[in-house]
Amino acid sequence: MAERRARRNLTPLLLSLPALVVMAAVMGFPLLYLCFMSLHRWSMVGFEPPRFIGLHNFTALVDDERFTDSLWRTLLFTALGVASNIPAGLGIALLLNQRFFGRNLLRALMILPMVATPAAMGLVWVVMLDPTLGIVRFMFRAIGVANPPLWLSDPFWVLPTLVFVDAWMWTPMVALICFAGLAALPAEPFEAARVDGASAWQRFRFITLPLLMPTLLVAVMLRVMDLLKVIDIVYVMTGGGPGHASETINVYNYLVALSYDRIGYGAAVALVLFAIVLLCTVALVHARRRTA
Amino acid sequence: MRQRPATTLTALASWLIVLAFMAPFAWMVLGSFKTTLDFLAYPPVFVFRPTLDNYRQVFADNSFLRYLMNSTIVAAGATSIGLLLGIPAAYALARWRQTALGILLLAARMAPGIAFLIPLFVMFLQLHLVGSYTSLILSHLIFTLPLTVWMMVSFIEAVPREIEQAALIDGCSVLGVILRVIVPLTAQGIAATSILAFIASWNNFLFALVLANDRTKTLPVAVLGYIGYNSIQWGTLMAAATFITLPVLVLAMCVQRYIVRGLVSGAVNG
Repeated sequence: MAERRARRNLTPLLLSLPALVVMAAVMGFPLLYLCFMSLHRWSMVGFEPPRFIGLHNFTALVDDERFTDSLWRTLLFTALGVASNIPAGLGIALLLNQRFFGRNLLRALMILPMVATPAAMGLVWVVMLDPTLGIVRFMFRAIGVANPPLWLSDPFWVLPTLVFVDAWMWTPMVALICFAGLAALPAEPFEAARVDGASAWQRFRFITLPLLMPTLLVAVMLRVMDLLKVIDIVYVMTGGGPGHASETINVYNYLVALSYDRIGYGAAVALVLFAIVLLCTVALVHARRRTA
Repeated sequence: MRQRPATTLTALASWLIVLAFMAPFAWMVLGSFKTTLDFLAYPPVFVFRPTLDNYRQVFADNSFLRYLMNSTIVAAGATSIGLLLGIPAAYALARWRQTALGILLLAARMAPGIAFLIPLFVMFLQLHLVGSYTSLILSHLIFTLPLTVWMMVSFIEAVPREIEQAALIDGCSVLGVILRVIVPLTAQGIAATSILAFIASWNNFLFALVLANDRTKTLPVAVLGYIGYNSIQWGTLMAAATFITLPVLVLAMCVQRYIVRGLVSGAVNG
């Protein structure tokens, strides 16, 4: 009996062992190696072997203006992204939550922006946003804006423009998450409110919104994680430019570690970014636990 | 929440919004049939004589076919290894508690890709593996494997335990249960999971940008070549973009019910 129990307890471990070993090799060990690197001055092309410098890479970050700028820029990018995606996604979900002709088709179509290859779609947006020949400029002029901004070439507009392209890809995901959340809400409170004569706005404000809050927080959490890490579309659309106007922390991290060959310093940036994502996620998980 | 019939106005608004989201795809496909001259017209032309020249040009370039092959090999490799390792692990996770595995999977969803990429690049450099399919497939496992495990856990949990227990009593081993009971009963889920993992790998840009060389480059990296410093080859760019995204869009429509679940669980971004 004892022997059998021991064997049964070993089974799950044996089953997940191959996956665990591979994940330790491609994820666990690299992360430890990253921590090790962050404590060294490390270069791949130089002849100098890695040299231990303690926490120097981390203290140097504080004085690195390009790093602190990219950090604030990323936080702004994330804030703009969440502030636009969540209300827009909820709005679309409320619209799609009604019965009308073609609703299922529309819902199916909504998945396309988020699965289309981001690098390719980023370039399609570059063409559409072209400051002289782009369709976006044409449409702005058609509605009477004589001199629309230069979008990706304008240091002020480049970040909002990238937020917009990111929103095009990911608002549909927020919408579909909200849609699933709406479908799971109980019908009784709404009927009771209707009997009591609550207006549509009151029903939304005092019933839908509070009941949907856990779902919304999941959507916020997913968006925050991915907005903080944004890189693909920025890299292909602007490369961080003009100047450094769209250089998010992940883009800076890529450049500093793999283009400028400052591996150790780049490792420190990557760890800081990881820590920020981790902190934000934990904070949001806590917030969700309080509402649920 | 009970769904109510829409008014004409809200139905119309829904249609307009969703069609607006589709507009970039329409513009991409339209552009892929335009000549350079049509592209340089302002205001932009909507009606024109379509040409296949852009597609011809994309395929005249032999290396594009090579990149297509690279993308297919890497995505197929990362997907199948992900399934092979992921299904038993998912079974263990669904039927027993597996804390270590769960934590690793969660870390994979949160960590920025670059945090794995920097050390992997150095490791692969030392192993002389940079530029090989091996390095690309191994690095893509970082997201295909967790995605497979998360997706399969939910499919396996839906299988009634009684069936497995019956098989065990009949003398089936645990591996036999997985092969003869779980796999057939979750076939649809396995199909959906593989499609999602394939898409995630096909779309990945950053890892291939760093770990591939000119011969092993995948399509998302290759398409960047159509934008030069001073000139954009508009038509060919649109044709290449169409060619890269179209398979993904078709595959995604087949598994549209599972897309959100996959995106929630798998690391796709950055």
